[in-house]
Amino acid sequence: MTQETAAAATQVVMGSSFWIATAIFLIAYAVIVSERIHKTIIAVFGAGLMLVLKILEQNEAFHTEEFGVDWNVIFLLISMMVIINLMRPTGVFEYIAIKSAKWGKGEPFRIMVIFAIVTAVLSALLDNVTTVLLIVPVTILIADALQVDALPYLISCALASNIGGTATLIGDPPNIMIASKAQLNFMDFIYHLAPIVIVMMVFYIFVIKLIWGKKMKTKDELKQRIMAMKENEAIKDPVMLKKSLFVLALVLTGFVFHGMLHFQPATVALFGAGLLLLLSRTHEPHHILAEVEWPTIFFFMGLFIIIGGVVKVGLIKWMSVQVLEITQGNLFATSMVVMWFSAFASAFIDNIPYVATMNPLIIDMARQLWPNLSGLQLLHHADLMPIWWSLALGACLGGNGTAIGASANVIVVGMSEKLGKRISFGKFMLYGIPIMVLTVFIATIYVWIRYYVLKI
Amino acid sequence: MKAKELMIPLQEYLKSGDTLKEAAHLLRIARRGEEKIGVKALPVLDEDGKLAGILSIGDILKAVYPSYMYLMDLGEFTWDGMVESFAKQAADKKVEDLMTSKVITVNEDATLMECIDHMLKNDVKRMPVLNQEEKVIGMLYERDLFYEITKSILGESAGGGK
Repeated sequence: MTQETAAAATQVVMGSSFWIATAIFLIAYAVIVSERIHKTIIAVFGAGLMLVLKILEQNEAFHTEEFGVDWNVIFLLISMMVIINLMRPTGVFEYIAIKSAKWGKGEPFRIMVIFAIVTAVLSALLDNVTTVLLIVPVTILIADALQVDALPYLISCALASNIGGTATLIGDPPNIMIASKAQLNFMDFIYHLAPIVIVMMVFYIFVIKLIWGKKMKTKDELKQRIMAMKENEAIKDPVMLKKSLFVLALVLTGFVFHGMLHFQPATVALFGAGLLLLLSRTHEPHHILAEVEWPTIFFFMGLFIIIGGVVKVGLIKWMSVQVLEITQGNLFATSMVVMWFSAFASAFIDNIPYVATMNPLIIDMARQLWPNLSGLQLLHHADLMPIWWSLALGACLGGNGTAIGASANVIVVGMSEKLGKRISFGKFMLYGIPIMVLTVFIATIYVWIRYYVLKI
Repeated sequence: MKAKELMIPLQEYLKSGDTLKEAAHLLRIARRGEEKIGVKALPVLDEDGKLAGILSIGDILKAVYPSYMYLMDLGEFTWDGMVESFAKQAADKKVEDLMTSKVITVNEDATLMECIDHMLKNDVKRMPVLNQEEKVIGMLYERDLFYEITKSILGESAGGGK
């Protein structure tokens, strides 16, 4: 094995374009980590450099699967954002949140657990940034009503959203990217990740009970404030609500069957977005479309082109050779290294550029291991599958480690700061790192038993 | 007529380091013309007497309004006593953190049409009037412009009134 990989390494020609592309890649990532310039600007500028310096031809960047923008990811993200933007004004998310709080009977800790579960489920079905944006304002309102500290609610929601988002293809951007590159479908994620995420949620609730269970106390008259809230008043547009729920149900059903029907997830989502726009009868789609998070979308597009450049010059292939040398071609060791390295890497750097780099790296690794295979035979090789799941589990769950590990955390910390309830970097880690280590540890046991002992 | 002839000369003002408590008191008792009837806004001056911002009663509503309420439709789910408890918490906040720091001003020699132009284009109801040295010398209110306009409409002689 080591001889083979060494032979493969020599195939990488380290000419001037290799070094130029590597420099653009490293400098771009360093500036993204330093946060000196907005990450979207760096990604778009880096992509521009890759094209201007002819590392990548424009045609390769725009129209090839191997080196170019992953339009499956782009259109899935945009379409889901459009659907949610159309749903928001109906008041459905306020309704769910108030209903959940009343379900908790005004008991602070009971409400915390219910919010954590609701956040996890919504994060799995929508994306976790949206979920956190929708749940955090209500959470703080509830904490104010009960006169309890809002911080435990905020932190527990952020952590729950990252755990819940791990469960599905659409739950977290790393999964969207992995699904597209590895050609995995929605049900693959449900079958391989959702069961263990449910187990993690059980452990998670147990842990938050240990931390906060006894501390959360309130007076009975304050609980009445919650019970007096009329959740039905939240629904502003019942007609549009019915249309949105119909389309959302259609889209989720579409996701369940997309593999069978040979549709890409983006096809399903784009159809849903188009249908809901049509049903909304809006004459001014401008503001719905303007609310799409364009900086995120452009960040993805720029990154894909930068990564395309370093894939083309062979940097990623060279890196994959190094990984195989470290693990000596042992695939169990490789999947463990991928999982734990991904967890710690995603805790400290954005997991989107991380996964964008890892996807082609894993594919290159597979090419070296099985040089005669290609297409799905290569991508879905029985020995490669646990590595994809390890990457997804590590990158998604690692996001919980620090305040900057996942977009959901960044939003929660940012909102809290605005409210004068600052969550310091250290304070977040105090809760984040143990939860991350616990969940990744559960994932380790799971991957080991399911894929290497039971082999199912 | 020029801005300086229609303005109310500067009497009370706030300092950026004042607390909301001090500011609220002054807004309630500030002089408007001859009477101490309170005003809807006061200019905020820094230590050197330069204009730092303006604090209006709208800024005070914002001071008790939690920012998470902007993000979702939560108005129906508030409770009696919520404003009062937020108001108590806000009492010690500093004026500089609550004021509007981007202030629309007008020069003392501006014509009344220029004053109206500034108000309508920027959607403000009052503006500090600055002299040539950029010091605040008074406040020009929408209401005083309105009276001036009504004089012409009703055919009263200009130069009467204040």
